[in-house]
Amino acid sequence: MNAIFIAVFIISAFILAITSPDKFIPALLSGGESSLKVAVTLFCVYAIWMGLSAIAEKCGLTESFAKAAKPLTKKVFKTDDDKACEYLAMNFSCNLLGIGGAATPFAVKAIDRLEQENNGYAQKLLFIINSTSVQLLPTTVIALRAAAGSASASDIFLPSLICTVISTGLAVFLFIICNNIHKKRSK
Amino acid sequence: MAALIPLLFVFIFIFAIIKKVKIYPEFTRGAGEALSFTMSLIPCLAAVFMMCELMEASGISALLQKALAPLFKVLGIPSELTKLLLIKPFSGSGSLAYLTEIIKNYGADSYIARCACVCFGSSETVFYISAVYFSKTRQKKLALPIFTVLLSTFISAIIACLLCKII
Repeated sequence: MNAIFIAVFIISAFILAITSPDKFIPALLSGGESSLKVAVTLFCVYAIWMGLSAIAEKCGLTESFAKAAKPLTKKVFKTDDDKACEYLAMNFSCNLLGIGGAATPFAVKAIDRLEQENNGYAQKLLFIINSTSVQLLPTTVIALRAAAGSASASDIFLPSLICTVISTGLAVFLFIICNNIHKKRSK
Repeated sequence: MAALIPLLFVFIFIFAIIKKVKIYPEFTRGAGEALSFTMSLIPCLAAVFMMCELMEASGISALLQKALAPLFKVLGIPSELTKLLLIKPFSGSGSLAYLTEIIKNYGADSYIARCACVCFGSSETVFYISAVYFSKTRQKKLALPIFTVLLSTFISAIIACLLCKII
């Protein structure tokens, strides 16, 4: 991220210095402005789901749910932390339900717990799974198409599902292979 | 399917009543956590969005599009989708705006719009997620995971364009 950030900033600042220097600051400002707008939307989404999950957590609902999923999360992520497993399980169920906004806070909490364990492998794996999209039903896209007057808005369901499975599966597969190669080398 | 979410609320609330949990204070506590969480995201968000705006303003993204369009075409991705595929890793709202435009211009049931929808639905905002997830960690070696994700997303986009021809 650091390298990309530096490269983009230097190259664009250089180009803008030559072509149109007066566009530089307005571009940065509008970026900052949209970050706040997005933050407002995000807060609304997070407030709903973190509020609800606080209730679910208090009455032990998430805990018993996480317990059921624990053998799987423990094996896949190689972690012993119960709380991390709980957050991981919640992250997946939110993703599968198609409420990606609710999945993010759980992922960040899980990453914090994994940080204490110094489990970089699980952190990266969680990132890969979340950033290749794991939703079963692309609700946003279907709603968009329906609004635009599509004859069968949900006919993209099957190709979307296939592509989602392929991208996530492939990324996890590649990551595990690279990880194993890396391990062998460092031995 | 849509009824699932309101029912989830009903289910959790009733369960909490049975367990004698004080619902209102718990909900506000969670929402308070959401506030501090959102606050901690803002610096990362600002940096990522500024970067996106700079790429747009300096013409880098237009250049990249022009350079990559022929390559995409060889792999079976219509050149109209180049911009969408380039924006998506950075910005969810930006790519959503562009997807809406594609649907409007080509019609919801056109081949291009369907490809765009599948590509959009089966990918995520990789750079944005990496900034949010790893904002507080010491873990900085993210080049390999990010590359893996981008490669897989790209391959699934090629497959998406193929599938839309068949299904």
